[in-house]
Amino acid sequence: MEDYKFLFKVVLVGNAGVGKTCLVRRFTQGLFPPGQGATIGVDFMIKTVEVEGEKIKLQIWDTAGQERFRSITQSYYRSAHALILVYDISCQPTFDCLPDWLREIQEYASSKVLKILVGNKTDRDDREIPTQIGEEFAKQHDMYFLETSAKEAENVERLFYEIAAELRDQARSKDASVSSQQRTNHSDSIGLSSLSAKANYFSQNNCCTGGASSN
Amino acid sequence: MEQTHVDSVTQNQQNKNNISKMINLSDIIGDVDISTICGIEEVLEILSSNEEEINRNLDVILSKQCDLDTKVSNLSRALTNVLKADTDSKKLLNQISHTSDLADSVSAKVRRLDQARSRASECQKRVHDLIDLQLCSQGVNTAIKEDDYEKGAGYVSRFLSMDKKMLQRTADEVQGNEDISSVASAVKNLEEGTVKLSELVNFKFDEAVKKDDLASVERFFKIFPLLGDHSNGIKKFSSYISSKLSTKSQKELRNSLELAKADKRTHLAFADTMTTLLENFAKVIEVNQPIVEACYGNGYLFQMLEVLQKECDLEVKNLILEFNKIRRINHRVNQINDYIKTGGSSTSSVQTLGHYRTSSGGGSVDKLNPKDIDAIIGEITIMHSRVELYFKFMRRRITNDLENCNLTEKETEKHLTKLENMFNECMLNRSMQEMLSTYLLFERYFMEESALKAIQLDAYDPGQLSSSMIDDVFFIIRKSIRRSITTQSMNGICAVINNAASCLEGDFVTALKGPLKQGYPSGYIDLAQAYNAIQSSIQQGKIQTNDIEQARNNFIVQLNNADMSTEYTETLWTSMESEIRAHFNQMSKLENNILESCLTELKSVKDSLKAVTDFGLQQLKSSAIKPRLNQWIDQFLTYNHHLTEEELASYEAGETFVQFLIVQIDSLLNQFKKSLSSRNYDALVSILAAEITTRMERVIKKSTFNRLGGLILDQEVRALGTYLTSATSWSIRDKMTRLTQIVTLLNLEKLSEFSEYFNPNDNQSDMPAWRITPSEIKQILTLRTDFRMEDIKRIKM
Repeated sequence: MEDYKFLFKVVLVGNAGVGKTCLVRRFTQGLFPPGQGATIGVDFMIKTVEVEGEKIKLQIWDTAGQERFRSITQSYYRSAHALILVYDISCQPTFDCLPDWLREIQEYASSKVLKILVGNKTDRDDREIPTQIGEEFAKQHDMYFLETSAKEAENVERLFYEIAAELRDQARSKDASVSSQQRTNHSDSIGLSSLSAKANYFSQNNCCTGGASSN
Repeated sequence: MEQTHVDSVTQNQQNKNNISKMINLSDIIGDVDISTICGIEEVLEILSSNEEEINRNLDVILSKQCDLDTKVSNLSRALTNVLKADTDSKKLLNQISHTSDLADSVSAKVRRLDQARSRASECQKRVHDLIDLQLCSQGVNTAIKEDDYEKGAGYVSRFLSMDKKMLQRTADEVQGNEDISSVASAVKNLEEGTVKLSELVNFKFDEAVKKDDLASVERFFKIFPLLGDHSNGIKKFSSYISSKLSTKSQKELRNSLELAKADKRTHLAFADTMTTLLENFAKVIEVNQPIVEACYGNGYLFQMLEVLQKECDLEVKNLILEFNKIRRINHRVNQINDYIKTGGSSTSSVQTLGHYRTSSGGGSVDKLNPKDIDAIIGEITIMHSRVELYFKFMRRRITNDLENCNLTEKETEKHLTKLENMFNECMLNRSMQEMLSTYLLFERYFMEESALKAIQLDAYDPGQLSSSMIDDVFFIIRKSIRRSITTQSMNGICAVINNAASCLEGDFVTALKGPLKQGYPSGYIDLAQAYNAIQSSIQQGKIQTNDIEQARNNFIVQLNNADMSTEYTETLWTSMESEIRAHFNQMSKLENNILESCLTELKSVKDSLKAVTDFGLQQLKSSAIKPRLNQWIDQFLTYNHHLTEEELASYEAGETFVQFLIVQIDSLLNQFKKSLSSRNYDALVSILAAEITTRMERVIKKSTFNRLGGLILDQEVRALGTYLTSATSWSIRDKMTRLTQIVTLLNLEKLSEFSEYFNPNDNQSDMPAWRITPSEIKQILTLRTDFRMEDIKRIKM
């Protein structure tokens, strides 16, 4: 049996061709295979990462971006712990579709799901969406924000490691709050302190946090 | 041998020692005075005993002589053998090296011979080629003149099989000879003939196609490969077949509805048409594969499919257009989407998740009845499965054909990827993905709406533990998952499983939890509640007992439903998993992982249901058990626990506290025994036992006891324990341990007995470990008024 302390489901969504599969491949296999065909339905990868000595297993669901697979991919939202919404910084339409994606997330995903906005393909020099615009959008919609390049392996590891760390902290504080409810009120402080420690995680790493609410 | 040798060496040494002993006479004489007879005699005695010993040793040595002799002779015999072996092996070595030399020279000769032979045969071939060249050259022209295309193509084929470079070299080598011109001219003549023939065949083929003359089409189709024009032949032939299939399928599509009506299969009309359509294509491949393989060789089937697939895509597209139109697919999709949108927003405050609607949600007049799409869903799954079958068939055929090609692994791989890419990118596949999407939307709508309806129409038969909705909901979900299996698409199945889990965790759990949240109406016991009930009944001008009864029933039934649902979920996912695995015996690793993960999701619904059950039981505890139980147990405080012998006798003669308590508890439990599922009932008894022990502990700590009071208490707690144990199949002894220990303390004859009972480190005895802390023990002992405080303080623990 594999030993890991936490298991989290991470689902990648976003328009076709923004590089979801490449992000996953880069992270799980260290590869950047260009010219891959479009993903059909869903693809599924597993990688175990270690955060502060704790093994965290990430189940990464790579979904097809094309419209006709929507009813397949939607069915995976509910069980997701984190949703990575990806757009292509060199392609305005993929950014313009973000509200549609958010509506879908709102409709199908758990309200507690961790949402991360990712602008991919920073290696391209024909950028159409400035970092600030993406940041702004993420802030408005209560999401974390990160720009990546699957091709240059930029920020890809960080993206997934920070998700793992954040989800772990969330799971911890949830445990703490559950046990604090069962015990008396003085143990509340444990839950609170871990909560406030966690809130800084993304910002410590100099990466834009989308709003303060991360419970 | 070695061993005996060593033995003899040690013996020799012993002998030597003996000898040296014997020689050294002075040693023997030692201190003995040899001047006296006595001394001499003593020495003589020693000497003679030494002599005896020496004789004995000699005997031993001599007795071994024979043994040693045989060993020596054995050795010498072995030596001769070894020498012989040595010479033999030398001889063998010689022979082997000799043979190897011989073999080398032979193989060199063979190699030379082989070379010579191959040269000879090459030469022969060239001669044959030259001869044939002339023949072909002459033949091709006459054949063309005589319209004997097969024969002409045969000559061309022979010509094409010759090595052009070789011909050129032959022509160069025989330079000066008069034949040179004839070789060159023959080549030229044949090349011209090839072009001419090829044009003719092309023309004739087109003509045959125009005339729709199948025999001629096939005749010329077979000639193309002879002229080295394989690809062209395949293309032309496939296009011809495509056009034939096109007209055929158009007719079929037009007739599909009428035909279906005649067979009373209207609801499957398009599935049937799809089946015939795809079967037509499969048939073309099946029928023509032997011809193509015979005339063209392996590896050309793929080219054929490439052309046919385009036609197939087109025909399927038409079919689906028609299907969408007749079955009003788009209209229905829009209806569902509109409904989800309106329904989703109205209940979002109640639901943490997604789009769930209450049964009254939406309220749109245009609402789609899930039953209406039931048939369409079935039709779509069949259509989808047919396409999956079609792909499977084609993939198998083409792969087989490619594998027979004798290509390198890498090349085969390349072709196979090309095939997969073609499948992935073809319109047929895309159409099917769109169709699957429609299916999933419909299936989800069907499942959720039907489940909501089942919840709405929930009916409860008196005497039953659970109500109709759990059977109905699980039936619906199983139906949906089963139906998804018929699509043959793992993606589709997994999505439906996901949706099933959502449906159960959403609408279903909410429906179960609703009545449980309101609590169990306890009615008459709770004064405040009773007062409220009377108040409201006065206000509303009607008596509510019936409503309370109904609410109670509903509570119990939903609690049982929740409990049974955990079992149903277990059965659902295990049976679905085995059914899916039976259908897909060759799953890829990825498919297996995805399926596994989705099934785990379905499995985890059990946890939610378990939580609902626990929640319900807690509700039952706080509203039905706790208020009454506390009252009964508090009666304990009204009893006298300082009894004299006479009082004891009269107490035992009357109704004791424990008898009163057991009667009350029994009647309480009897209320639930029949109506609760056995697991829920056991859980209830367990909760009850826990409550009793904590409450008992409280009242005991509020009382004081004398010796007899403690004795009575001990008897009563035992009786209570026996009763509770008999009430359930679960073990509740553990729950009673603390109380039993408290009572044991209070039942001590003397304080000095305490040490016999208390042994915190003793794990061997049947007594469970002490659950009471030392300070608690002291506190409890003070409840016995006849124990002195100083004595209690002195107790060592």
